[in-house]
Amino acid sequence: MKSDQLLFKNRRPGETTFLKGYLETGGYEGLKKAFTMDPAQVREIVKASRLRGRGGAGFPTGMKWSFFPADKPGEKYLVCNADEMEPGTYKDRELLLADPHQLVEGMIISAYALQAPTGYIFIRYAYERCARNLERAIIEAREAGFLGKNIRGSGFSCELFVHRSAGRYICGEETALLNALEGRRANPRSKPPFPAVRGLFDKPTTVNNVETLASIQHIITGGAAWFKDLAATVEGAGTKLYGLSGHLEKTECHELPIGVPLRTLVEEFGGGVWKGRRFKACLPGGASTPYLTAEHLDVSMDFEPLEKVGSRLGTAGVTVFDDTTCMVEATLNLNRFFARESCGWCTPCRDGLPFVNWILEKIERGDGVMEDIDMLRDQLRNITGTTFCALAQGAVGPIESLLRLFEEEVVDHIKRGRCPFNP
Amino acid sequence: MPTLTIDNKTVTVPEGANVLEAAKRLDIVIPHFCYHEALGSVGACRLCAMKFLEGPAKGIQMACMVEAKDGMVVSTQDEGAVDLRKHVIEWLMMNHPHDCPVCDEGGECQLQDMTVAGGHGIRRYGGLKRTYNNQFLGPFVYHEMNRCIQCYRCVRTYQDYCGGTDFGVLGCNQRIYFGRFRDGPLESVFSGNIVDACPTGVFTDKTFRFHSRYWDLEEASSVCPHCSLGCATIPGARYRELQRVRGGVNKETNGFFICDRGRFGYGYANHPDRPRIPRIGDREVSWDDSLEEARGRLADIAHRHGPAAIALLGSPRASLEANYRLLTLAHHLETDRIAFEAHPERDRTARVVAALSDKNSRSLEEIRNSDFLLLVGADPLNEAPMMALAVRQAVRRGAGAALIDPRPVGLPFHAVHLPLAAGRLSEFLQAVCAGTFENFSRQERTILEGIAERLRRAQRPILIGGGDLLGAAGVRDLLRTSEKLSKEDRPCGAALILGGPNSYGAALLSGETSDFNGILDGISEGRIRALVCLESDPFTDHPDLSRSRSALAKLDLLIALDCVPTTTAEKANIFLPVKAPAESAGVYVNNEGRMLAFASVFDPGTPIRVTGGGDHPPRVFEPGTPRNPPMSAWSVLGALQNRRESLNSLRREMEGEHARLAGLASLDPETDGRRVLPGGGRFEIPEIPAIPTEEKAFDLISIQSLFGSETLSAFSPVLDPVRPVPRFLMHSADAAEIGLAAGETLRVTTDRGGFELPVALSEVMARGCLFIAHLKGSPVDLPFPGVRFAARVDRRKES
Amino acid sequence: MDQLLTEDQLDHFRTLAAEIPHPRELVVDVLRAIQNNHGWVPDEGVELAGTILGLSPLQVEEVATFFDKIYRRPVGRRVIHVCDSICCWSRGGEEVARLLQEKLGIGLGETTEDGIFTLLPTCCLGACGEAPAMMIGLTTYGHLTSDRIDLVLERERREAP
Ligand SMILES: Cc1cc2nc3c(=O)[nH]c(=O)nc-3n(C[C@H](O)[C@H](O)[C@H](O)COP(=O)(O)O)c2cc1C
Ligand code: SF4
Ligand code: FES
Repeated sequence: MKSDQLLFKNRRPGETTFLKGYLETGGYEGLKKAFTMDPAQVREIVKASRLRGRGGAGFPTGMKWSFFPADKPGEKYLVCNADEMEPGTYKDRELLLADPHQLVEGMIISAYALQAPTGYIFIRYAYERCARNLERAIIEAREAGFLGKNIRGSGFSCELFVHRSAGRYICGEETALLNALEGRRANPRSKPPFPAVRGLFDKPTTVNNVETLASIQHIITGGAAWFKDLAATVEGAGTKLYGLSGHLEKTECHELPIGVPLRTLVEEFGGGVWKGRRFKACLPGGASTPYLTAEHLDVSMDFEPLEKVGSRLGTAGVTVFDDTTCMVEATLNLNRFFARESCGWCTPCRDGLPFVNWILEKIERGDGVMEDIDMLRDQLRNITGTTFCALAQGAVGPIESLLRLFEEEVVDHIKRGRCPFNP
Repeated sequence: MPTLTIDNKTVTVPEGANVLEAAKRLDIVIPHFCYHEALGSVGACRLCAMKFLEGPAKGIQMACMVEAKDGMVVSTQDEGAVDLRKHVIEWLMMNHPHDCPVCDEGGECQLQDMTVAGGHGIRRYGGLKRTYNNQFLGPFVYHEMNRCIQCYRCVRTYQDYCGGTDFGVLGCNQRIYFGRFRDGPLESVFSGNIVDACPTGVFTDKTFRFHSRYWDLEEASSVCPHCSLGCATIPGARYRELQRVRGGVNKETNGFFICDRGRFGYGYANHPDRPRIPRIGDREVSWDDSLEEARGRLADIAHRHGPAAIALLGSPRASLEANYRLLTLAHHLETDRIAFEAHPERDRTARVVAALSDKNSRSLEEIRNSDFLLLVGADPLNEAPMMALAVRQAVRRGAGAALIDPRPVGLPFHAVHLPLAAGRLSEFLQAVCAGTFENFSRQERTILEGIAERLRRAQRPILIGGGDLLGAAGVRDLLRTSEKLSKEDRPCGAALILGGPNSYGAALLSGETSDFNGILDGISEGRIRALVCLESDPFTDHPDLSRSRSALAKLDLLIALDCVPTTTAEKANIFLPVKAPAESAGVYVNNEGRMLAFASVFDPGTPIRVTGGGDHPPRVFEPGTPRNPPMSAWSVLGALQNRRESLNSLRREMEGEHARLAGLASLDPETDGRRVLPGGGRFEIPEIPAIPTEEKAFDLISIQSLFGSETLSAFSPVLDPVRPVPRFLMHSADAAEIGLAAGETLRVTTDRGGFELPVALSEVMARGCLFIAHLKGSPVDLPFPGVRFAARVDRRKES
Repeated sequence: MDQLLTEDQLDHFRTLAAEIPHPRELVVDVLRAIQNNHGWVPDEGVELAGTILGLSPLQVEEVATFFDKIYRRPVGRRVIHVCDSICCWSRGGEEVARLLQEKLGIGLGETTEDGIFTLLPTCCLGACGEAPAMMIGLTTYGHLTSDRIDLVLERERREAP
């Protein structure tokens, strides 16, 4: 399967494309075009493109922007979420390693559309090379007159800043991110008020994912209809970066239409399950999405179809598990991550996830009893939908699907008094 | 005003109220930890879960986070909500030590209550418990981190509400820690509030630890006697000992919190030297004998020198009832020589406030809701701490604040500060009135015009003045300014800081009587032979100590009523022990003119800790209570007039006599109190002698210090570690001129004598001033707050 | 002891803090700069950051202790963060962690005797496509095998200051 390459068109192994190469493939044409329109027109096109946020929640970008008081005077901010700390997710990194101007151009256009002249890129600790790439791209863009005061005589001025973080997955949650940016503890804030009303430094703010923002210039250049048509599903729009990982022959990141079948990713792009083994399960969209099994392989990798089969597109980072994997252990690994990365604000997440850890550890160790399954269920029921933010929501996804899809395996642990995969 | 249904009961609540608050109105108890009325909702504990059946919110939601809306139908009994609440408790108990039997919070622990109420009885979690090291947090608060349930209330109290920056939340995930950067005393003077705020036993009152179980305490609603604000408190006593004080709730005054002086200043009631037995000379006698003696000797003096030879001195720290009975004692003795404050300037100031402050007088609650506050000659952290927090809450809600004060005033909020000389505060107020600042320097003018502009634009502006620095004339000018700035639809309020808890009440009773200086003159000249002192100490509380001491030495008869061992009590010919505030019921009228009733917490008597020789619990029980325990001051004074009466009949009489005290008799300690009726009065301020000015002289001003200046707390030993040491405060540029460095000794000469003390320097204070904090019991005879005099300074020559 | 911040850095942060309306936003930058110079952030570093930004040490500490990549205790000159999240786990992450402990002779959370390496587990490094992975300092190494670990350790040891 071949596909249009928008975000990855300048990607070459081991190399980073900077301004020269970027301009050669039509870079900053979107920006030039955007400046011929007024900001509301740009927002209209984005809305019409049906682009949905690539950060995990899939909220329609155009709609999010329509809540933003773009036309009201006053300080406003655009924030790019480059925290990308969800296990199984590395698409933003691939993009920033390959072609940082994709994000820079997208951000300038978005800042123009939102009339938010100050942009922050919040980037995680581990992405130092990406941060440096971005800093260089920002300098290049400024020197080339795409950034700074009165860009290309448009009357619009824009500055971008790179903010390096110091760890913690919760910083990716958009309101926690705002606290982190302000130099505070990264606890999420309550919503309402939403960031569009009161965000960074209490001013209206829009937070978008790297991939979301990088898609903007392509939408402007190609038009909304063209962008929609890129998808492999009727309801979908655009391309998507799919990061493959886990028990595949090839674990790489690819730009493919939204809605490609999961099977294509696994068999064609992933080269099939490694070591000739069988497909047992996968996380289709990062560590916070419920498992899918072999019977779901033909699902389209788009928002609605995945929800129909009980999971989510999330970040479209697909992590595959072969048939030698203990799903209890895999789930325990995931849950440990979430418990450790909980910000510690609300009780069900801070204390509930460690409780779940303890149950899963007990079962995995072979000390579980049948009542533990009920206990696990009642823990889950009470963590689901009861927390302050969505972190714990993500944590329960895999556990819930473990009990739904692999209950027998859990029971087997208890009956044998040991892990069946760990003789 | 939305109307909603909770558990089949309907309630209408104000716009913006949340569902938890709505349920509270229906007396439906929704368990919660992190929500606190003063701190707001943060949705952290997830205990207040309810099921939302109809309306904009659906499903299980946190009641504290959902705004009440019309048509909502909510169930607190829903199975899912109940289950969640039970789980929240289970989670919180995962790491909580099962140390209830030995925990200091036992019996008043919300976690204990919720655990029982929530039905979590069997421990399912079998993992290890997380444990912490505790920190040393100073003399007041004990730290036991293992008991923490991460409701974040302490840090929201300490940092957000009180503005402290040295205590907070550390760590992440399940390893959250509430503490300091390093071991060390908490720096905020509101630190004790975390004891009240913590729902479990993480922060407990160190001064109370291991003394009593909560349920063994005698408690009652009371009013703090340590400053003029009248914060609500709940003292607790056992074994005839006042063992602790916690914050009470009064929405109009303190809200929920109190300062550390109010909380830890209670030791005076148990002071080992507290005089508890009536005395004639050095001889301990019975009540009957002492009263008989007092009546006889007063009659004798009246007989020999005429009734005008008897004078009486009331007190701003005595209850309204006692001061009133002192007044009727004067009538009874047919003398008009009575004053209600040993400090004439404080007396005048309070009288101006009592006479002139009217509908523009503002409560702390109104300050919290103000949108612009101008502080003039006020240092609230030292003079009336909760006022500082009230302003802080206004500023947190977006109000502006400005301060005109010669001192380097520290504030728990941001304010523009112009250090104007003390002598120019009135001039400034008059200029605000007039709207022009011609007599000020260009730099000053810019700032002042900015302030005036904000005052004009604000919707609910309030002028806050400190009585000590403004003095009577300044206070009058401030009240006039507030009147002048008021418009029909936009009043400008005023709030003044006075000397004591009942300054206003005492002043209200004073009417037009002369001041204590008049009495001192009478004594000096031999016209006055006897003085009755009610809870006042003219030996130390008069601004001119040599004047008062030499006059008082001439008295034939000094009768003192008090609960603490003051100089006056010690020198009295007849001493009559009275109840401490927590031991008696009474009323104070606070700085706003609000009558606040307090109930009696316990009966006085020598604490078992004393009679038991220090053993605790004592091995030998003795009745210990003297035959003649202290009585309420009002009943002692009544007895001197041959009255036997109840507090109620006394209050009814007062109401009848003083129209402004309407409602006094029905005042309930459980309520927020009640404003006295406006004075509608005029008060002519007697001519105040100008301070002699000298070429090159410094303006030496005595000021208050939170843990040093107030009489009762000066007798509280637990405050000793935080009491400041005497020193001068001087502008660094002035110091530079005489070649003085910080910490060096400054010699100051005045016409009242000289001082040699180390100096501290500041750049944010007026030039040409010298400040000295009044410290009770300090070996140096420091002048009383509110006193100014000309001083010559020079650097002490090192020998 | 190394300088916590160079004169230039001090100058830079002080100037910036005076210029921007919310100096607090620099707190992680200052802490990271101190860590970069000194290897970790000692108490004096927290205090210094507070002085520059107008915060109390506690207010800095509140942030410093929230993040896991600010080291508030001494670490070796090279900090190895070995990924223990799901993709690395699925491709031998636990074995990598075991090998590292064996080769360095230390446990997780410990520092080698020569003071060069500290070994810490970390959550996903965004190197899921190259799992199993680890990060040393700010450099990510993927596709780890026993031999490659030897090579990497050798190089890092050589280059460690
Ligand atoms: C715990 C948590 C972690 C998140 N991490 C990220 C992240 O690393 N990157 C990201 O773009 N969005 C992340 N999100 C989603 C953001 O909150 C937000 O929805 C997103 O940045 C919006 O951008 P988009 O609309 O362009 O997707 C996270 C959400 C949660 C609850
Ligand atoms: S669910 Fe609660 S504790 Fe967990 S990260 Fe969100 S707010 Fe923090
Ligand atoms: S799981 Fe290890 S790098 Fe992502």
